Amino acid sequence: MNYKLNKFSEKSFSSIFFSKLSKLNFLIITSVILLGFVGVASLYSASGGYWDPWAQNHIIRLIFGIFLMLILAFLPHDIFFKLSVLSFVIGILSLILVKFIGTGNVQRWITLGGINFQPSEAMKLALILILARYFDHISRIELYKLKTYIIPICLILLPGFLVISQPDLGTGLTIILLGLAILFFVGISIKFVILCFILLASSIPFIWNQLYDYQKDRILVFLNPEIDSLGSGYQIIQSKIAIGSGGFFGKGYLLGSQSRLNYLPEKHTDFIFTLISEELGFLGSISIISIYCVLIISIMKISFRVESLYSKIVTFGVGFLIFLYLSLNIGMVCGLLPVVGAPLPLISYGGTSLLTVLIGLGIVLSISIHDKEVL
Amino acid sequence: MKNKSQKYLENTISKRFFLLSILKGFVVGGIGWRFFDLQMIENRKYEKLSDNNQFNFHMIAPERGRILDRKMRLLAGNMDGFSLVLNWNKNVNEDEVIKKILKIIDISQKDLHNFYEEIKFNNKKFAKEILITKKLSQKDVSKLAVRSIEFPEVSFSMTKKRVYPQGIIAGHITGYVGPYSEKDNKIKPNNSWFEVGKTGLEEFFEKDLRGKFGRKRNEVTSKGHIIASQIYENTISGNDIRTSLDMGLQAFAIERFERGNNTVVYLKNDKIKKQIEQAQNINYEKKDFVYKDKKNRIVNPQSGSLVLMDIENGEILCSVSSPGYDPNIFSEGLEIGVWNSLKNNSRAPFLNRSMSGIYPPGSTIKMAVALAALENGIIDYNTKFYCNGLKELGSSTFHCWAKDGHGQLNLMEAIEQSCDVYFYELGLKVGIDKIALMMKKLGLGQYYDIEINDKSKGVVPNIEWKLKRDGLQWSMGETLNASIGQGYLLTTPLQLTTMVSRIANGKFSITPTLIMKKSQNRFEPLKINPKHIDFIKKSMERVVTGNKGTAKNYKIGSKKIEMAGKTGTVQVVRISEAEREKGLIKNEDRPWKKRDHALFVGYAPVLKPKYAITVVVEHGGSGSSVAAPIARDIFKYIFKV
Repeated sequence: MNYKLNKFSEKSFSSIFFSKLSKLNFLIITSVILLGFVGVASLYSASGGYWDPWAQNHIIRLIFGIFLMLILAFLPHDIFFKLSVLSFVIGILSLILVKFIGTGNVQRWITLGGINFQPSEAMKLALILILARYFDHISRIELYKLKTYIIPICLILLPGFLVISQPDLGTGLTIILLGLAILFFVGISIKFVILCFILLASSIPFIWNQLYDYQKDRILVFLNPEIDSLGSGYQIIQSKIAIGSGGFFGKGYLLGSQSRLNYLPEKHTDFIFTLISEELGFLGSISIISIYCVLIISIMKISFRVESLYSKIVTFGVGFLIFLYLSLNIGMVCGLLPVVGAPLPLISYGGTSLLTVLIGLGIVLSISIHDKEVL
Repeated sequence: MKNKSQKYLENTISKRFFLLSILKGFVVGGIGWRFFDLQMIENRKYEKLSDNNQFNFHMIAPERGRILDRKMRLLAGNMDGFSLVLNWNKNVNEDEVIKKILKIIDISQKDLHNFYEEIKFNNKKFAKEILITKKLSQKDVSKLAVRSIEFPEVSFSMTKKRVYPQGIIAGHITGYVGPYSEKDNKIKPNNSWFEVGKTGLEEFFEKDLRGKFGRKRNEVTSKGHIIASQIYENTISGNDIRTSLDMGLQAFAIERFERGNNTVVYLKNDKIKKQIEQAQNINYEKKDFVYKDKKNRIVNPQSGSLVLMDIENGEILCSVSSPGYDPNIFSEGLEIGVWNSLKNNSRAPFLNRSMSGIYPPGSTIKMAVALAALENGIIDYNTKFYCNGLKELGSSTFHCWAKDGHGQLNLMEAIEQSCDVYFYELGLKVGIDKIALMMKKLGLGQYYDIEINDKSKGVVPNIEWKLKRDGLQWSMGETLNASIGQGYLLTTPLQLTTMVSRIANGKFSITPTLIMKKSQNRFEPLKINPKHIDFIKKSMERVVTGNKGTAKNYKIGSKKIEMAGKTGTVQVVRISEAEREKGLIKNEDRPWKKRDHALFVGYAPVLKPKYAITVVVEHGGSGSSVAAPIARDIFKYIFKV
């Protein structure tokens, strides 16, 4: 197995450090810092020009997270390989635990020593790791056999349904989508994918009955926001107004009327991109989306380049996770998707998703440094 | 084998990698397009929506113009008042706010009702200011202001309350203002307390009095808190209206008119109070006196109309319509009880009798008939007819008011003594169409451009008119009725005053106006032979000064100033032959509704006419004894004799 080939002989620590440093993907780090900066600036604006309460917390989290990311980057990536089963088990356990001791009006949070922790976010990473481990472990021929996919599908659906039953439809679907994308990536047959879609489509009425009223509302309102312009449709209508009124150059930093006058709901979390679009306009929105694209393409390049299947799947998974976050969040704020509650990685306020993304990126960076390059 | 499969795998993964990259590209492209669409293509629309959120505009009502009389005395003005206003939007829970406010101050049930109506009406529309109450005392203001932090949605505003210092005296002329309703769809205001003129001058001059609305721009948060406010457009106050009325005269005229020939009794002793309670059909108003007639019965104030007009420029100095109403009751928020009692009052206090009350003119029309005969050359000044008390036409008999007749008399004597038979003969000779033409020339049967919307046209019948209305031929008997101002003929007091003005003026077709110096009125020439006019005027003088004149008892008696005029007594109920045989019941003994109307038209001074007057006392009795003395006293007041 390729990861075992990475052996470090009696080189001095500093030379190892510098050789690793030189292999570090600076494009990723630059994008992360840029996005983090945008996040701080937007949160500063969201609180009406104050560091308190969001912007300063975000800075602290960012510094801590980036530091953690760099530490992970320097760790040999076989550590993650070894930890993958453990992390998945812990993830599942905490998802079960959250049912009993969870806080928040819908039980999504675990409070550990004063820090709120959302296990469903961390589950995404654990899922990537366990799937990568699984596919790396089995022989390659078996990848063409359908029964090979029974276990990974279980691995995907177990956390997926646990999260959906929290209830958190958005995150649950994200987990399932992420898992399916990985299955697709490793080469599950197209026929199977089509079968899945048919199954999914036919189970829609069943799922619909299982949904909570507020979830049904959200989907109905997404289909026609005007039906409830003061209730659940209010968010999406106001968000569209804010984005649309931004125009090309935006209303100016700190000058967004929709956010300043509190017409934007959740402007510091899920709807932070609306605030950015309102204040910085089309130009700003597209620039920020471009930074995300740079980040995702950098990760994809690593994924393309690395040799081991494990590394390929993990990097692809992290890249796809960031892409999912991005498209769900932005799709939601501009009314392309129903309001499902997806954070915008690195920018929106919220520690767990920030850490999840940074840890994921740390693993990617580590793989990029340590995995033998295909040349 | 392994190598091959590995290659195959790598191939698959690359293919899938490629496919997923394309998917990502599409998704990001879709999002990019969406933003382009929202921010570039539909930008204008969303900018507007955003502005609607950010700002709300409020109309600022301008100060309404005043209404003044000819001597600049105030008829209608504005008084400062405090209003409580809710800055309503969809996030405000009005019930809670009201509950909190009610703990501190009292708000009348009616205001609350209106408030909720307004909210219902405004349902789910844009944020706006909704009036809670206008009647806020200084004490309420300070109580609320101290705790204003608890009600960020509520604000005070200074409003102007319309006041009519003259009260009931000129209510019909000024009219009143009331809250804007959808019916008055001339304008679309944005605030709920906006008031528009409902009747009278307030209605007619609405545009002038109103002024121009200003606008205030508030920046509001989604919770409805106003965080900034600026004047966006300034208000322009309404113009003042200066009417031709003389409030001194008006006040005197009302008092004199309502008293009539009755006596004033002050409510000091309890006996009278008991008597009032026993009396029936008395519209007892909260005054400290009542009227008693000659038989010591308590009576209502006389109802009817009195109009006084300048014969040179048509300015109306005095326009009484009794009973009246106090327009202030509308500014103070009308109590339903007050409204109902006014509305259901059988004497119709809201009717402006001067302009829209229609009465048969009775004998006061005889000048017009005489002029029609003279102008058409049918008679001359000396033509005589014999009056034996009645005129028989076909099977029916037409009576003169004097049972035994006037004997042989000429035109001037006929007018002086108001001989009906003479005018029957005249009517038959002239014909209704020519009489009608003369009446129209003198101003009857038409509207004028007077500054009141509510007015009546009256009726001047002719052959064509009857054919059109009933499809029936005109009968001679109807000509006889019309010749003495009965039958179909109907006039308003204003029209009668205009008729007298034109006769007294002699040169121009005067039209009435309520406004001072209305662009130096220019009137059409009257086109009636001045000699005939002079003759008629002479005859009208004889009514007052002649030995047999019907108003001979009511001379002004001054050497310089005397009045001329014509009395009229209008039968309200038909008198049958049988009743006539038994002898007529005296007016005072009949039920009020069956008594005759008393009329007097006239002008003064005789030598150089200045003012024309009409007095109509509803069911007052005879024109000579009831209406004429009122006219005399008015002239006495004006000329200070």
